[in-house]
Amino acid sequence: MASVGFTAFAILFLIGMVGIFLWQSLPVWQQEGWSYLTGERWFFRQLEFGILPMIYGSLAVALIALGFSVPIGVGAAIFAAEILHPRLRVPLKIAVELLAGVPSVVYGLLGILFLRDWIYSILTPFDPLSGDTLLTAGLLLGMMVLPTIMTLSDDALRGVPTGYRQAARGLGLTRAEVIFSAIFPQAWRGILAAVLLGFGRALGETIAVFLVVGRQDNVLPEHWFSLRPLIEAGQTLTSKLGGAETHIAYSDPLHWAAIVGLGLVLLAIVAGITWLAAWLMRAKEVSDAPGI
Amino acid sequence: MFRLLSTFALLLALALPPETQAQTVLKINGSTTVNLPVAEAAEILRTEQGMAIQVDTQGGSSGGLSMLGDGLVDIGMSSKHLIDSDRSKYPQVQFEEIHIGEDAVAMIVSRDVWEGGVRALSREQLQGIYEGRIKNWKEVGGADQRIAFFNKSPGSGTWEVFANWLYGSAKKAPQVSFPEVGGNEEARNKVASTRGALSQLSASWADGKRVFPLALTTEDGRLVEPNSTNIATHQYPMSRPLFLLTNGKPQGLAQTFIEFVLSERGQQLVRKHGYLSLDQIE
Repeated sequence: MASVGFTAFAILFLIGMVGIFLWQSLPVWQQEGWSYLTGERWFFRQLEFGILPMIYGSLAVALIALGFSVPIGVGAAIFAAEILHPRLRVPLKIAVELLAGVPSVVYGLLGILFLRDWIYSILTPFDPLSGDTLLTAGLLLGMMVLPTIMTLSDDALRGVPTGYRQAARGLGLTRAEVIFSAIFPQAWRGILAAVLLGFGRALGETIAVFLVVGRQDNVLPEHWFSLRPLIEAGQTLTSKLGGAETHIAYSDPLHWAAIVGLGLVLLAIVAGITWLAAWLMRAKEVSDAPGI
Repeated sequence: MFRLLSTFALLLALALPPETQAQTVLKINGSTTVNLPVAEAAEILRTEQGMAIQVDTQGGSSGGLSMLGDGLVDIGMSSKHLIDSDRSKYPQVQFEEIHIGEDAVAMIVSRDVWEGGVRALSREQLQGIYEGRIKNWKEVGGADQRIAFFNKSPGSGTWEVFANWLYGSAKKAPQVSFPEVGGNEEARNKVASTRGALSQLSASWADGKRVFPLALTTEDGRLVEPNSTNIATHQYPMSRPLFLLTNGKPQGLAQTFIEFVLSERGQQLVRKHGYLSLDQIE
């Protein structure tokens, strides 16, 4: 009975929050329409609000983070779940979960202390403006989501019943073949869900990105696969929201609406990804064939 | 039954006020430039008179103004004059500007630029850099190094003073996109650690060890450095007043605080942090 009440409360809270965001950002949707999302220029003093560069920045940074953390994280998960001695598994799991719980501002400070200068010196042949780049933010995020991806992938792999492993070994498969031909096909949905959740976390991260991304507006590549903007400073949805503009925006209704609109877009993207991840996890349980 | 009781207890605990305040807190917010002497004054008053004071630097000068306008703080710190549009945004509020000192905005560069020979810039050169027409230090007499310009963030009093001098009015400044730095501390750190860096900074923060203040070249070719004499006599153009803002005449705790800052001890703090006290200004 109480659980029905709490569920209703949670749903109402969510609907209320989305409703308030829509209502408060209405002026900018009325003023700009779709060009709010596709516009390439954000100049708040002249009341021009186009957020495509920030969407690009958020996606670029999150994809760099995945590019770093998925191979390492999934690889480590495979090692922990399939190869590692059972007695070492628990300490490793504890260590990884501790890392996943470190507050993001600590990562941001480490980024300022070490990562910025390291990237600045490595990128010197390419003449970057400074060490604050989309690449720096992406790598920092990669280190942040690595424990999350590893832990969830590990759970996905260990969720495959031992029967599969025994049957495969019984058929004479080598250990590598067991992992990649028998276990992985069963666990890939869970691993993909883990990657998507890591992606969602990377998209929503504010402080660490704010400190090292450079916070330069209106950075967009000329063609989609141009890599140059990655070593320049950029702006993400979250770094704009975490910045100084939110403190001065509420004196102008259109500016405020544009800032709230950023939050709405971020909410929509992260919600979409979380929903996709949940759908994938559910489909896995449905297809679990009993009795093997 | 137990679950119901514990849920009820939790809700009750959350509903209780978080702390009983034995005394009212004086809240101050605003510019990182003004913050230096103000924070130290607050510490002195906390220790000596037991006052409860909170000093913060959210949003710079504009943040100080808007939080004062919204009634969230008692005193705002600002390093720029109030303009009409500021007053018209808060028609109910009667802003009082209390002058506590004077400061200047310097264009600071990193060590490699300074040692590469760039010691001064003219208004036209700065406009060229700001508008992106001048991209390399060799175009203004320095080494072959990309100009890494860090712009101050929106809301910064430092930026407004810079734009006012460069274009006559902050509103006339063109649209530009540069990497952004927040307060004075961040500006200094980023300029010190980046090659070819240039940014705007409160003159007293430019220590000449990690970051170096440029002189400005006037129309008749004179070089005016941002030192105390030139700032006090207004020969250095980018000087700006340091203000404490209140809503109406200051009363109670705010009055005590402001009287302290205007006293000789308070003005000594202003000088200690490199700014000019009221008696030094002509």
